[in-house]
Amino acid sequence: MSWIDWAIVGGYLAFMIFDGIRMTKHTSGVDGYFLANRSLPWWAVGLSVMATQLSAITLVGATGQGYMDGMRFIQFYYGLPIAMVILCVTAVPFFYRANVFTAYEYLEKRFDVRVRTLTSFFFLISRGLGVGVVIAAPSVILSIVLGWNELTTIFVMGLSTTLYTMIGGVQAVTWTDVKQMFVIFFGLFVCLFVIVGKFPEGVSMGDGLHLAGAVGKLETVNWSFDLTEKYTIWSGVIAALFLFLSYFGCDQSQVQRFLTAKSVSEGRTSLLMSAFFKIPMQFMILLIGVLVFVFYQFQQPPMIFNANENAKYANSAEYKSLQADYEKAFEKRKLVATEYSTTNSDSAKQSYIEANQEFLAARKKGVDFVKKDNASFNDINYVFPNFVVQNMPIGVIGLIIAAIFAAAMSSISAELNALATATTLDFYRRLVNADATDKQYVFVGRIATLIWGIFACLVATQATNLGSLIEVVNKFGSFFYGSLLGVFVLAFAVKKANSNGAFFGLLFGIASVWVASNYTKIEFLWFNVVGCLVTVLAGYLISLIFPTKSIDISNKI
Amino acid sequence: MDENEQKLPKKNEVPDSWWYRVYFGVIVSTILVIFALWAFSQYFK
Repeated sequence: MSWIDWAIVGGYLAFMIFDGIRMTKHTSGVDGYFLANRSLPWWAVGLSVMATQLSAITLVGATGQGYMDGMRFIQFYYGLPIAMVILCVTAVPFFYRANVFTAYEYLEKRFDVRVRTLTSFFFLISRGLGVGVVIAAPSVILSIVLGWNELTTIFVMGLSTTLYTMIGGVQAVTWTDVKQMFVIFFGLFVCLFVIVGKFPEGVSMGDGLHLAGAVGKLETVNWSFDLTEKYTIWSGVIAALFLFLSYFGCDQSQVQRFLTAKSVSEGRTSLLMSAFFKIPMQFMILLIGVLVFVFYQFQQPPMIFNANENAKYANSAEYKSLQADYEKAFEKRKLVATEYSTTNSDSAKQSYIEANQEFLAARKKGVDFVKKDNASFNDINYVFPNFVVQNMPIGVIGLIIAAIFAAAMSSISAELNALATATTLDFYRRLVNADATDKQYVFVGRIATLIWGIFACLVATQATNLGSLIEVVNKFGSFFYGSLLGVFVLAFAVKKANSNGAFFGLLFGIASVWVASNYTKIEFLWFNVVGCLVTVLAGYLISLIFPTKSIDISNKI
Repeated sequence: MDENEQKLPKKNEVPDSWWYRVYFGVIVSTILVIFALWAFSQYFK
């Protein structure tokens, strides 16, 4: 990277820390520090909702997915607008008018302290580990692609975010999220235009899309009912709907966003903003990956995008021979890609499809070679950063690295803030010291942010085998998400549900997901449906069999 | 609800009937977006 790129990244980091810290003046009192006195406008909350969800690994991973697998991943988001509408009708008014700080506090009002503590505890464990991965994933990638020290990247990203989140509270989180979203959008737009500008003369964006479409990279709707297929319109509209309901409606890192809005109406508008913009935004991110694919029809991509792995085998004779076959396959594909993009004939299209298959087979041999030593090897997340560093002009590299940092920091800050809120209010205030002053609670909130920030950095440093760690965290999250949603369905919609039903229903739900994950082949997204349905059913039956005196506040709010 | 749990004033709020029209609009626009994406993929197939 040139000094201009370094200056852009350094300037971005310095401004974010300064901008976050200057929010300290708005953080007097528990309401100010944790909920911004419920004073934020819908557009800021809406951008914060989107920024929290868009982590660096989503940005980098989705562009890589666009390159390798095309647009299919977009179907995952088709259920999001429906989830937002359901949450606008249910969760937003319920939480807002109950005047709670955390989603789990509502469960105590509806059930009892056991349910609140158990759900909050699950949130702390899964999100605490999750934020470590959110830091680790981009740090490892940036370290390899840019040659930075991994530990330095982890601590620069983790501790700078911890610093402004700790001092500025939720105000700092939201207003830095807003600016970070602008950095991300600006970076993505510049990137898109630069890639199209790098196509060979005579190849337009339309020609490029025809090339991508010919090899199935632009499939956006798959009607298959196969439950073992990951991305179909049904897994998006039904299974992902449950995931989004759970994530946006029961995860404190998202619930806290709309609780800071000025009113129920502004909270609803902020979620609907995300409903409108999420699919187009995800389309643009995947499109960048597809356009990188088109670019690499005319410029040779590395056989292995992870530079460390590439260097490891550079002197191996077998690897060199695979590399030579790969280069030959590329040259052949380049020739027919050029022919197809200029003639648009059916015969050229067929030749191009065949040449692409040969090229993919040649790359697969290289990947399989690396996999002999490292079975979980996958270089999908390296495609975009590698492309940026190798092919983008000076200045744009810095901008896109800043955008990757922005995506990471916007998620980390919201998650640390939510972890600190749950720790302070669900545990410290509820179970340890109910009579402290506002000043003391804010102090505990700051200390909790610092401790969670350090914990997340330490988890990130231990993420040497990142693939398996992500799997563990995702699995743990999926155990929890659907079942937690089930508890909230019991709270909102089942009048007869009581605390015994909610508490043991949750445990049954988690157990059912464990069974589904170990004894069936259904895809991860469907675990959320299983967990939710079992929790609701078990919770309802337990409530009927073991009735307790339970406070029904759902119809009073 | 006790004193600490009193409802917040319904400031700047619009009637539910208006929101139902908005929700309907969101669902319709989502269907249109999915249709547009499907048409996009068919055009470049």
